[in-house]
Amino acid sequence: MTETFLYLIQQLINGLTIGSTYALIAIGYTMVYGIIGMINFAHGEIYMIGSYITFIVIAGLLGMGMVSLPIILIIALIVAVIIASTYGWTVERVAYRPLRGTNRLIPLISAIGMSIFLQNYVVLAQGSRDVALPPQISGGWTFGDPSVFEVSFSYMQALIWVVTFVAMTALTLFISRSRMGRACRACSEDLGMTNLLGIDTNRTIALTFIIGAALAAVAGLLLGLYYGVVNPFVGFIAGLKAFTAAVLGGIGSIPGAVLGGLILGVTEALTSAYFPSEYKDVVSFGLLVLILLFRPSGLLGKPEVEKV
Amino acid sequence: MKKFTRTLLSVGLAASLYGASAQADTIKIALAGPATGPVAQYGDMQKIGVMAAIEDINNAGGINGDKLEGVIYDDACDPKQAVAVANKIVNDDIQLVVGHLCSSSTEPASDIYEEEGILMITAASTSPSITEKGHQMVFRTIGLDSLQGTLAAEHILNNVKPKTIAVIHDKQQYGEGLATTVKSALEKGGLNITMFEGVTAGDKDFSALIAKLKKEGVDFVYYGGYHPELGLILRQSKEKGFNAQFMGPEGIVNSDLAKIAGEASEGVLATAPKSFDQNPVNQARVEAIKAKGEDPTGPFVFTAYAAVELMKNAIEKTGGTDPEKMAEHLRSNPLDTAIGKIAYDAKGDLTESTFQVYQLHKDGSKTAVK
Repeated sequence: MTETFLYLIQQLINGLTIGSTYALIAIGYTMVYGIIGMINFAHGEIYMIGSYITFIVIAGLLGMGMVSLPIILIIALIVAVIIASTYGWTVERVAYRPLRGTNRLIPLISAIGMSIFLQNYVVLAQGSRDVALPPQISGGWTFGDPSVFEVSFSYMQALIWVVTFVAMTALTLFISRSRMGRACRACSEDLGMTNLLGIDTNRTIALTFIIGAALAAVAGLLLGLYYGVVNPFVGFIAGLKAFTAAVLGGIGSIPGAVLGGLILGVTEALTSAYFPSEYKDVVSFGLLVLILLFRPSGLLGKPEVEKV
Repeated sequence: MKKFTRTLLSVGLAASLYGASAQADTIKIALAGPATGPVAQYGDMQKIGVMAAIEDINNAGGINGDKLEGVIYDDACDPKQAVAVANKIVNDDIQLVVGHLCSSSTEPASDIYEEEGILMITAASTSPSITEKGHQMVFRTIGLDSLQGTLAAEHILNNVKPKTIAVIHDKQQYGEGLATTVKSALEKGGLNITMFEGVTAGDKDFSALIAKLKKEGVDFVYYGGYHPELGLILRQSKEKGFNAQFMGPEGIVNSDLAKIAGEASEGVLATAPKSFDQNPVNQARVEAIKAKGEDPTGPFVFTAYAAVELMKNAIEKTGGTDPEKMAEHLRSNPLDTAIGKIAYDAKGDLTESTFQVYQLHKDGSKTAVK
């Protein structure tokens, strides 16, 4: 295998890893948009809070002398998902539900307010500095001739792929098979009509916020472990990237969010790989503009039908 | 009669002196720098130094009876907020500023101070362009990037002698400025730079960049920027089996680098102001700072301390807090301070370099490299 090929493989691995986490966060945006047609700008902060909770739980359990890593990770995951979901649910109760039925710009502003509030709340509670966690999962597979180019695929990257895949599959099954999933789909078709048919739409909307927040917490856990660093400002950039991924794939579409996330991640990695890294964001956002020019509703989005 | 006049005069003089000492007020010094945000640690160093200096001066009776007071302004290392902070300092009628910290904040703020006739001494900003505009009110107690970059390049050429070099920076004024200086100095020394690239400050994923460095067979990386990004680059490099020698400026000299990068931070080279806390002259000051439970080893603690010393001396010598007279005094009168003798050239830069090459360790400490 030539160096060029191995290098390409390495960059694809890097891109798909980062893309997977974009996808996890993007789902939160896309689900909320699909149902109530609004962007939840506080979503990036939920991801950040998920990361913080993971760090606190892991540091706490390690401090208590627990050694089994899988158990620590599972406890951290459960705690992070529960607490982040509570935040997601609260955001909906505080910033969206009281404003439902008003001009669409108003909840947008209250969501931005929520985002600023959460960010500053974490700054006050945890300080504004980077919090670091020593590497928990190290090592990985390598292949290719070391004298040519050695491709590394770390266990952590593999874990990100596996967890993302499992979470996506579980969500798809939930949406397509379960009763509550059917209610979600009905709400996204026609919220008013669904309400008339006796489905508790308030509960369904709260549920989408909770699912989005839970997936953001999973992303928070994975990226927290992968990078080993979190600060109160990571939610903004991650949220922006994930939002881009959601728009790229077609906002409102769950497979679209996954596809958008992966495309964005791979584009970033390949741009850094073959051009100076400075152009990373220029190329990825240029791509977004291009795709939206030719497919205004995103790659897998349904053409916008004006809701009456 | 003559005697009477003299008595009257002396009484009057005494009264006026008495009046002066009765009016002993506080001289406020604004402390501008990041108190929040990702690089707030550096703001803390500046605060520790300034507050220690103010305490020492006040305990020794103040300046002609006047006490100093430090007022903290937070610019979060954000150029926009720095301008807002500078305007606030103007509105609050403060005439002496120690700060700002990040070069990109100092530069826009310094224009405002110059216009308003406020004396500014930065203890940390090393970008050459700050003193290149011919400002009269702008000084520093730290050497320039050009000096720091040249020192780094000399060390690389004479001691490290790498084969394949990459120069990476964070696209900010400080980092890119330094990276450019190092690059041109290395090229002048006959070395080829294989890669010269920017990363985005705040980014968390550098795997693509690292794979590229690995592919190019880079064995030495100079990074112009701050510790949060370099820490992640080091950590991810180790995970990906990329083992080059890294070097950076004083913006990476911080125990948080070791916290983020862990083992990977062992042996990283850095240029930083000399460890003034090791200087016997400062022993009592170091003890006093330690007694308060604060860390005296940060690179900006004593540069900030010296900035206050300069201000105190200028106030005493010019007999008041007229910033313009003080600036004039600073320019022409060298002073012995906590960081050694400070003398200024016409631009407001130090005439002597205060930098040294250090090797950083995974426990957050550093040792000087000969």
